[in-house]
Amino acid sequence: MAGEDVRIGLARASRENMVAAVLLAPSLLFLAAFTYWPVFGVVLRSLTEQRFGQSASWGFGNFIRLFADTHFHRVLVNTVLYAVGTIVPSLVLALFLAVALSKPGRLTGLLRTVLMLPQMVPLVAAAALYVFVFLPGEGLLDHYLAYFGRYATNWLGSPDLALPSVILITIWKNTGYYMLFFLAGLAGIPADLLEAARIDGANGWRRFRDVTLPLLGPTFAFVGVIAMVNALVQIDHIIVMTGGGPSDSTNMILYYIYQQAEQNLDLGLASAATVVCVGVLLALALLSLRRLERGIHYES
Amino acid sequence: MRQLLLAAAALLSVGGTAQAATDIDFFFPVPVQGKLAIEMTRVVEGFNASQSDVHVTPVYTGSYDDTNLKTRAAISAGKPPAVALMSANFIREYAIDQKAVSLDGLIGKDGQTPQAFIGQFFPAVRPNATEDGHVYGVPFHNSTPILYYSVEAFQQAGLDPEKPPVTWQEWVDDAKKLTKHDGDHLVQAGVEIVSSYDYLGWLTSGLAMSNGGDYFNHGWGGEVYYNSPSTIGAVQFLDDLVHKHQVMPEGVIDASAASSAFFSGRTAMMVASTGALGYVRDNMKKPFKVAFMPRAMRNAAPIGGASLLIPTGNSPERQQAAWKLISYLTSPAVNGAWSRFTGYFAPRMAAYDLPEMKAYLAQDPNAKVAIDQLAYGEPWFATFNTVGVRKALEDQVQAVLSGKAKPADAMAQAQKDADALLRPYVEQTALKLPQ
Repeated sequence: MAGEDVRIGLARASRENMVAAVLLAPSLLFLAAFTYWPVFGVVLRSLTEQRFGQSASWGFGNFIRLFADTHFHRVLVNTVLYAVGTIVPSLVLALFLAVALSKPGRLTGLLRTVLMLPQMVPLVAAAALYVFVFLPGEGLLDHYLAYFGRYATNWLGSPDLALPSVILITIWKNTGYYMLFFLAGLAGIPADLLEAARIDGANGWRRFRDVTLPLLGPTFAFVGVIAMVNALVQIDHIIVMTGGGPSDSTNMILYYIYQQAEQNLDLGLASAATVVCVGVLLALALLSLRRLERGIHYES
Repeated sequence: MRQLLLAAAALLSVGGTAQAATDIDFFFPVPVQGKLAIEMTRVVEGFNASQSDVHVTPVYTGSYDDTNLKTRAAISAGKPPAVALMSANFIREYAIDQKAVSLDGLIGKDGQTPQAFIGQFFPAVRPNATEDGHVYGVPFHNSTPILYYSVEAFQQAGLDPEKPPVTWQEWVDDAKKLTKHDGDHLVQAGVEIVSSYDYLGWLTSGLAMSNGGDYFNHGWGGEVYYNSPSTIGAVQFLDDLVHKHQVMPEGVIDASAASSAFFSGRTAMMVASTGALGYVRDNMKKPFKVAFMPRAMRNAAPIGGASLLIPTGNSPERQQAAWKLISYLTSPAVNGAWSRFTGYFAPRMAAYDLPEMKAYLAQDPNAKVAIDQLAYGEPWFATFNTVGVRKALEDQVQAVLSGKAKPADAMAQAQKDADALLRPYVEQTALKLPQ
């Protein structure tokens, strides 16, 4: 008798599996067609060497050419500078603002909204505006700097200033958004922990350093990964404002991929750069998530 | 009931004509103003109303680069547009990659030879429309670089606004007089030359051509002459304007920075496209004039603009329909009207014989200067990998303008980068010898 029960159970289980499979099939189909297949295609193409008028062959030639390309070196350095230059200040600033504005109130509500506003403006639109803010001489920035005796500065046209200018806009754009996550993180910190620390005689800074900050670990991990992805994929403003120039000083890896694929029609090189880029990003994301997750098992 | 029947009959007849007509798509970019997209739609509606064989749906496809990208994507996907308006210096790559149809056959059906057909367009625009003697593009609208200058600034500097600089020497002399310094700072620049990507390669090619060079191999897409005296001299001239004569701000100046500096009097002269004439006319409050690009050895005005092409993968019927649209758009009347609306010049020579065109030129002397300069037009650089090869030069010239590199070293590097990009094509053509 027991055997029959098991058999019925198995039959039911397999029928449920069938139903689940049928229900999930459409999503799988779309996922396969629009995510897995293209990913597979890019990897395949990165290993396919085909140059003008020649037949295709297999190998790592695209990767060899990629790592030998001085433009690629430049772009890698730029991307790292841009990522560090935008992520560190925006996270620090976002945390600071979140702590400052964590107590509810009419004024803080207003300030939070104001800080979130840049996030509402599409990056392309913001970039089109900032082109005029940064105009040498006439722009808003130079207009006010003139009061301090500074004349026209070629913000976007100087290889030394273009990247910092672009970084500044990115910080302005993203800080409010990251602040939102920190606000949520702060709201999730149990009050009794802070209360206990206070009774133990910890001052404000100690409480922040030893209670608040460690408990914000998961938030940091999450926002960090988001910020990293943003630094890599949000380059609309660079295309609008500098086109990667002057002399490649603001060129980023994503735009480099575009240039190889669409301007030089070199899909092999573009695919190889994509594989490298996504690989590095994936490794970084795993590393940061795992590292931060290890230290965050605090419970009240 | 009767009304209903009538309505049904009307519907059927509309459906009937739509079915008889060949439906085709037309990809077109708008380089600058949004107004142009509306005007283009109007022009195409005019074509649709003028006949019943072909029905065209105009598709706005963004910038020149976007249009190139979308057209290539559509060809790869097997659904090419019947006609695309393409940046004129991309035509060569379409011919090399066999992505555009040779128009010789369609021209022949009209009872013309390819040479006679292309002979109806200004000589300067012909090389960019043909490859190895075959016609691949039909010029639609074109431009050249031109010198804009402020009448007021000339007067204040004691210069005669009727006598703009003609040679590079005069250009430098005038620019020095027009420049105002406050300590180390430029309060009023003598001249600003647009130096962002795309513009810079074009303007440098013009300076190099004026300086005696060819800049690129006009007949074959595998060579550029960056590391040559004519180009090095042109880049040295740019370097001198910034660092020696100090009449131009350091660094890269994009089109909006140059034009707003010109409007506000922060620069006395500006080099930009004739295509910006309408924009400057609308925004410049003070009087301004335009002049030929000053010359080193010879006057030279590199051509810019766009041509119509038929992508491969279109059936003979669709090609015939596309040809009908192309013939309409480049007819003297339509081509001339588009020119008056946009400020581009009309490549079809006969457009200038029409009375409305003569009236337009009589009324705007600046537009006439732009047309007259066409006599010195030279082909737009077009190679294998045009954009990348152009960027190889631009990155280096930008470094020179920023004081980060010297012209001779910069051009040697630009040549090296460009040669690397051209290499695959060179290997398959000039260096592919009988075995």
